[in-house]
Amino acid sequence: MLTVTGLNAFYGRAHILHDVSLEARAGEVLVLLGRNGAGKSTTMKSIIGLVRPAQGSSITFDGVEMAGRQPHEIARAGLGYVPEERRIFTDLTVMENLAVGRQPPRDGLAPWTPERLFAIFPNLGRMQDRPGGRMSGGEQQMLTIARTLMGNPRLILLDEPSEGLAPVIVEQMADAIAKLKAEGLAVVLSEQNLHFAARVADAAVIIEKGAVRWQGTLPALENEPEVKAQYLSV
Amino acid sequence: MDFVLIQFLTGLSSASALFLIASGLTVIFGVTRIVNFAHGSFYMLGAYLAWTIVRAFWDWGGREPYLFVAGVIVAAIVVSLIGVAMEMTLLRRIYRAPELFQLLATFGVVLIIQDATLAIWGPEDLPLPRPPWLRGFIEIAGSRFPRYDLILAVIGPVVLGLLWLLFHRTRFGVLVRAATQDREMVAALGVDQRKLFSGVFFLGSALAGLGGALVLPSQSANLQMDLSIIAEAFVVVVVGGMGSVPGAFLASLLIAEVQAFGIVLLPKITLVLVFLVMAAVLMVRPYGLLGKPQAHARAQSGMVEPVLRPAPPILAWAGIAALALAASTPFWAGAYALTVLVELAVFVLFAASLHLMMGPGGVVSFGHAAYFGLGAYGAALGLRYLALPMEAGLVMAPLFAGLFGVVFGVFVVRLSGVYLAMLTLAFAQIVWAAAFQWVDITGGDNGILGVWPSAWATNKSVYLWLSLALCIGATMLLRRFVFSPFGYGLRAARDSELRAEAIGLDTARLRLVAFTIAAAAAGLAGGVYAYAKGSVFPTYISIPKSVDALLMVLLGGVQTVTGPIVGAIAYHGLFVGILQTTQYWRAALGLSIVLLVLAFPLGIAGFARARWERAKGLEAA
Repeated sequence: MLTVTGLNAFYGRAHILHDVSLEARAGEVLVLLGRNGAGKSTTMKSIIGLVRPAQGSSITFDGVEMAGRQPHEIARAGLGYVPEERRIFTDLTVMENLAVGRQPPRDGLAPWTPERLFAIFPNLGRMQDRPGGRMSGGEQQMLTIARTLMGNPRLILLDEPSEGLAPVIVEQMADAIAKLKAEGLAVVLSEQNLHFAARVADAAVIIEKGAVRWQGTLPALENEPEVKAQYLSV
Repeated sequence: MDFVLIQFLTGLSSASALFLIASGLTVIFGVTRIVNFAHGSFYMLGAYLAWTIVRAFWDWGGREPYLFVAGVIVAAIVVSLIGVAMEMTLLRRIYRAPELFQLLATFGVVLIIQDATLAIWGPEDLPLPRPPWLRGFIEIAGSRFPRYDLILAVIGPVVLGLLWLLFHRTRFGVLVRAATQDREMVAALGVDQRKLFSGVFFLGSALAGLGGALVLPSQSANLQMDLSIIAEAFVVVVVGGMGSVPGAFLASLLIAEVQAFGIVLLPKITLVLVFLVMAAVLMVRPYGLLGKPQAHARAQSGMVEPVLRPAPPILAWAGIAALALAASTPFWAGAYALTVLVELAVFVLFAASLHLMMGPGGVVSFGHAAYFGLGAYGAALGLRYLALPMEAGLVMAPLFAGLFGVVFGVFVVRLSGVYLAMLTLAFAQIVWAAAFQWVDITGGDNGILGVWPSAWATNKSVYLWLSLALCIGATMLLRRFVFSPFGYGLRAARDSELRAEAIGLDTARLRLVAFTIAAAAAGLAGGVYAYAKGSVFPTYISIPKSVDALLMVLLGGVQTVTGPIVGAIAYHGLFVGILQTTQYWRAALGLSIVLLVLAFPLGIAGFARARWERAKGLEAA
């Protein structure tokens, strides 16, 4: 569904991503694993177009080339992006935040409405008129995901959704991701937390120093203690 | 008591006009992050267009109030279309350029619109012939109050209400509020920024045009409207909090009332008063009354300041050759060339002093002319009151400017970004207002005359050599600062304040020292200029003078140390060249600025260096 081939990215002159290639399949949850600064966020930002992929990079979504397009074009093609720092609009209410994410329905998918989203994220339904700035970290994280879903994406990029959240909220987050998968969405998430990843993901890509070091299914990763020790342990 | 009420109402009516303009400016800034200098020009165009359109409507259908309203609205719409045209043809190409480049481009538009207006409507002030219903008075508490002013006073709150509805009840409005906080995120959610930006320019320019059209009956359309209103509008936007419409409303009220009462109670310092209010507000609330700290637009393009390097030998030799050539002009060129060269030397130092703050210091001063002017006035006042000779005057100039640099700098270095730029503008306007209004001491608009060099330096050749020695010497000294440990610390503080603090650098003090040095250097330039011209005027401190300095630095390229020198020469060359050849030199200059910004977003020297490095294969990967 999403195929990244030979992705290179730069910040100024610093070469951040080196020939990253990965594939996310429909109906699956793919996790990008790696330590802080490994290049997971940059990979996601390059896919959505916030960081410009270098010449020669290819990012196809359902066979259509996305590299070099504007973020809004990529989002409208059906790629949803949930940033690491949440970046909710603090002055806007929950309902207004959702309204910003709203895009026309997509063929073959039941369009997301606030009501359907509140069924998955019940907390949000109870604070529809609250400004985003007066919500807890967990609630904000739920709101960013709900906001992106309002664009009716077919694949959603989740950048470190469990970061900085209390264990109870992390559980809710894992449930929410499972529900999205059940809805037929493809999910690409980045994580440092292997336990969380193991709960939700089908396949994994390990990134270290901006390059892919390992990829395979999660069960396969469980059988590779050396890989885990080398790239994931703190 | 009646007097208080009347003054209060007068304040309300001017607050309305101010709010219309400032709200448009603040909305545009909030979403696009562009400080739109041309906003004042749109206000001016609104007045001129209304003058033409309303009169046409009246000629055609009688002087009815509804035809006036229709004319005002049509004028506002025409202005908004001009605003959108500017956004689509010019600004859209430079959204990723550094903030100041955008500012520069919009200033180019200011110049173009000024000359276009002059060409279309002529130099005369154009008052609207007012039918009786526009001229009436209303009896309030025993005093006569103009009825139209009362209508204006009501329009402000009405527009505030309409804007509130727009921003809370429409999708466009919600998107604007979201984009004001984080436009990149809005784009990642599938919103086409270009349409949003064009929409915002439509709205903002319409408000400016409406403001201009509405003040037409109580004032007149004139060519000074643009720059006089833009300074005030900047103040309102900054005091209210950039991007905040309710903040702009509060600030308009505050500023207009301060003016309304100030003009009666303290007529000599109204201008100073406004900027003092602004400085006071920014001291207490650095982001304005209702503003919020700007979310830093990171991940935009990962722009990193390039490392400054000492000039390669070839460049150093070119500099020495150029200097030698300049010093030899008395032997082969006429008197006019000598005059131009003295000015060039002065502007090179002026630009280099601004660059010390802008480049290595990362502090963008919007009011650098203040220190140039303070230097000039320091020398002139020294002559007038202490009978100081030129030698002492040229010592006095940098001292005087440096002293004010310390005082203002203490406040300035606490802020950052656009707020800092605006505070420097405010200080510059205070200095300008003092020079302009304090006639007893400074001679006001007439300036101080008779500031001539000592006998040994009256010869034009000698004065050129003196200017070159002082200005180029000081410029080289500034370069030394950049490549000294002090300069390294300054750049460290710019690139990462936290890390610089963590290794023990007192970043605020470093910036203050840089600010003071820059002010003193600009003061020396001002002093040399004063003796070259034999006189000083408040125009030395005016906004266009500060913009001149910014243009020179940006033209040359803020990211190189040689840039400001090249920029000063190119700018002054352009200026002299254009001035001599065309009646519409403003438009020609404006057009040159716009084209240069589009062609060289890194400045001339920056462009040359990028070429040079690419040729040498330094461009990584």
